Formats: sequence, C-alpha cells, structure tokens
Amino acid sequence: MNYFRQGPSFLLARGAGPRFLIGCVLVSIGILLAGAAGSWDITNHLLNKPETFFAPPHAVLYSGVAIAVTGAAMLFTAARSAAGNRIIIPWPAKMVAAGVIVLVAAGPADFAWHSAFGLDGLLSPPHFVLLSGMVASSIGALAGVVYYNKTFMRGSSSSSGSELRLSPALIVIGILPIWLALSGVVDMFSLPFSESDYFNFNPPPALGAANATLGFPFLVAAMLYTASALAGRRFGIMSITGATFIVTGALTSIAPNEALVPTLPFYMLNMIPIVAADAIMSYRYWRPFKISIYAAGAIAGLAFFTLYYPLITHTYNEVLTQEPALWASLTAPTYFEMIGTVLLFTAVPAAAMGIVGAVTADKLIAKNKIL
Amino acid sequence: MFNILLRALILAVAVAASLAAYFALSAYVIPQSYSSSEPPRPEPILTGVSLSASEVALGQTFTISVMVTNRGDQSDVQIVSVGFPNLTRTDGIAVLKHNFVQSPFFVQAGQEVGIGYTGFERTVKAEYPSVEATTWSWKTGSTYSIDVQVKPDVEGRFVVFVKSIALPHSWERAHYPHEGLMDYQQEFVQAYSVQVTTKP
Repeated sequence: MNYFRQGPSFLLARGAGPRFLIGCVLVSIGILLAGAAGSWDITNHLLNKPETFFAPPHAVLYSGVAIAVTGAAMLFTAARSAAGNRIIIPWPAKMVAAGVIVLVAAGPADFAWHSAFGLDGLLSPPHFVLLSGMVASSIGALAGVVYYNKTFMRGSSSSSGSELRLSPALIVIGILPIWLALSGVVDMFSLPFSESDYFNFNPPPALGAANATLGFPFLVAAMLYTASALAGRRFGIMSITGATFIVTGALTSIAPNEALVPTLPFYMLNMIPIVAADAIMSYRYWRPFKISIYAAGAIAGLAFFTLYYPLITHTYNEVLTQEPALWASLTAPTYFEMIGTVLLFTAVPAAAMGIVGAVTADKLIAKNKIL
Repeated sequence: MFNILLRALILAVAVAASLAAYFALSAYVIPQSYSSSEPPRPEPILTGVSLSASEVALGQTFTISVMVTNRGDQSDVQIVSVGFPNLTRTDGIAVLKHNFVQSPFFVQAGQEVGIGYTGFERTVKAEYPSVEATTWSWKTGSTYSIDVQVKPDVEGRFVVFVKSIALPHSWERAHYPHEGLMDYQQEFVQAYSVQVTTKP
C-alpha cells in the first residue's frame, strides 16, 4: 500500500505547503539538537559528574525539544485541511504529534522519577519514553518532508528511488535525528551506565555487547542506505550524511574529553568506508544488481565499531576485561587494545546485519511502505 | 562494453584498496602507536594547610583549611581527604566553605572505602570519619580549597590526617604526600594536630 495516496491537494490550499515543510524541518532540527545534546550529556556525566539539572547539555536538549514542539505545532496546523465535511491529517503529521506529545510528557515524568529515586542512569523508564518520542517524531518529520516532496514533485519516474530526490540538506536534516535517536536506543541497551542507588538497569555485559554488535551495524547501514535512496542514489549524499554524523560524534563525545582529542584523526578515518559504500551505491552500472546494496550494507555495518567510538569502548570493556569502570583518560588506550579482538569476532555478524539493514531500508523505500 | 567493465574494475579495486587501508590503519597502525603512549600523569600537591588554632578548649571548634593543586597532567578525578582518627562520628564536623566542583561528602566509620590508591577495586571499612572533596576533570595548575570546622570530643592531642589522590593512579606521584605516615587505607597522609585542653 502506498501511504502517500491521501489527497495532496489540501496542501495546495491557502499556502499550507511551505508551513508544512518548515514544520517538518523544525521538528527534525529540534530532535537533532536534542539527540546531539543527549550524546554530549553522556560525555558530560562521564567527565564532570554534574550534580544539578542545570548543565549546558540539558539547556541544549530542552532547546531542541522547544524547537521540535514549535515545528510540530506549525506542521499540525498546516496539515489540517477541510475536504468537504472531512478533516484530513496525513499520517506523518499524526506521527510527529504523537512523538512530540510523548517527548514533552517525558519531562515531568523524568522530574517525578528524580524526585522519587534521585539521579538515574542512561536507561530509565522516563528516558526510554523520551527517546521513543524522539524516534517517532523524527521519523514522522522525515516522512512529512518526503510527503511534501511527492506532493509538489515535478515530473515522475516509475523506478524506485528516482521518484524520491530530496535536496541534500533536507536529507541530512531528516536522517540525522533518526539516526541519533535510534543510536540512543541501542546505547540504552548496551552501555553499562544505568545503575543508580535504587535500580540497576545495566544490561548483562554479554547481552549489551550482542545488542551493540547487531543493532549498530543494522542502524548504520539502514540510515546510510536511506540517505542514498532519498537522493536517487546520487554520489555524495550518503557521504555527507555520514560526515555529519561523524562531526556530531566528534563534537559531543570526543572534543569534550581532552584525553581523546588526539584521536580525532583516527575518528575521521570513518569517512573511508562511508565513501566506499557511497561509491558502490551510486555507480550506475551496478544499480540494477542487488549485490551493490549487499556490498554497501556490509561495508557500512563493518564500520560500526569505529563509528561509535569512544562510548562503545565501555560496552565491550565489560565483556573483555570484566573491569567495572573505565576512566575517561584510559578510554583511548583501552579501545585500541581491544579493537583487533572485537573486529575479529564481530566482523561476520556486523557485515550480515549491515546487509540486513540496507535490504530492509531498500524494501521499505522501494515500495513506499514508510517513505 | 570494455570501457564499462574497465571502469567497474577500477572502482572495485579503488574501493578494496581504500577499505584495506582503513582496516590496516584502524586495527593495526594506530593501535600500535597508542600502545607506546604514556597515560596522563597528574601530580597533586598540598599547597597550603593551616589550622585556626594550635590549642582549643574541650567543646570549642577549630578550622582546618586545605588547599591542593594539580601540578601534573589533567586527572579524571582528584580527591582531597581530611580524616579525624580521634573521632568516631561525623557529628562534630562541618564544611564551612569550598570551591570543589562536586559537593564534599562525609565518610562514616564503618563505610566501605578504597584502599591502596586503587579507587574502589579493593575496599576496606573506614576506621574513623573523614571529609572527602573531589573535582572531576581536575585541570593542570588548578587549585581547590576546603575549610572544615571540627569540634574535638576528647582532651589531649587531636590529630588530623590530610592527603590527596589523583585517579586513575597512573604513577608514583599521583598522590600526596609521597612518603611518611600511612593510614588504614595503606595511603600516605600528612598529620597535623591541635592540643585540646580542659574546659576553662
């Protein structure tokens, strides 16, 4: 079923189209800010052990939430339209609305949790609710952008992917918040940062490592494939999306830690597999063959351990060393000590999950099931 | 057709070569270079310890002011501990002021504490109460201070132990003092004392 068959004409009425698009973009930017701030907050907690709510990452996070709420309101009001006696609201708007409501509700829920149980860890019921809202609203926002694009697209083509040629900026702004939010979900169930005075929500070390080994490659491949597909498999968009993810990670997880700053050149090496996957995906003579998707997915999946540096060190440290904690200044030496072992044992499942991620994204996009 | 195949082959070789370089650099070259690098070497030193009085009457208080600097590399966390071996409870202890990033906290006698500069890898039960002040990410050259007011509850020589430890404890100078008297945590301390006299 094509979910974009709801009558697009309403968006043409009274110039609601641009407001709809701006609303979607604002939601994406807001969730992007919130997601980046969440990553920064994890680093801040590791380095500085803040004791109050009023920390810079929290300020950025709630600014992002405010922007997302503003965008959702704009999007929702633009999306409502009368057609005869019916009110039509396209499903991306509903998804954004639901996601933002959940996101906003997580605020007081988190406050109540803190009041009852003190400082919480990464995984807690309110934090999970918050991330669920971020995922839903960011997916809804990207779907809204695609919906808008299909409504106003010029010309048409029956081949999958080429119908969806969004501008690079919209693709990056749309994909990145989804990627960050879903990364946060995988982090919640893989990082050992969820023990507090009252509860221990830390995953068992082996389960945490398994979640990371299966979840991150799938996610990386799915996100990068989606970026490429939304651009009609043009070379460069996947690379730009990956580069933006890398820059975000560098700013939030590496730059704040003085001991990790010298490893920034290492982190930039992640562009190599991303550009390689992009080249494979975009080479036009390989496009008719599924092997190009499998190869790109496998390459993207294999890069997960370097892409999610440095936090992923904590996940595998628990399994490989049984050490309870990892000092911030020892993260880099510990990571480089384990990288050979981890790559050896995770290469096959990572490549496999990368292929699964790329194929899943391909099927969802090609049949317009989601986008 | 030949050109298409040639281009495809060149692209495949370029991709394979770049991935080989990526894996070689990530999994071997860079880790090798890191294995030879030294961990950070923080060096805490007590730059100022002063007592408000050398003699107090029983029931009166005195204040100990401690100032500590990190002369070495940035530490993940640096701890300043002021211990009171003559006390059994923390009732008579109060923190008057401090500029540590984290809030100072009291260690009660009987509480589990780290031993031998290992953080919490090995623990022992505290034999007497103390005040611990910490700053995470203690930068090179930064100085932090704390004023602790205490009311001795017995006459005689009232002893105060002061020490500072940087974690992770990466070298022999990541604690202060470097030698001398050792406490129950098997860590060196600097001792100060006040004479407590009978109530007038």
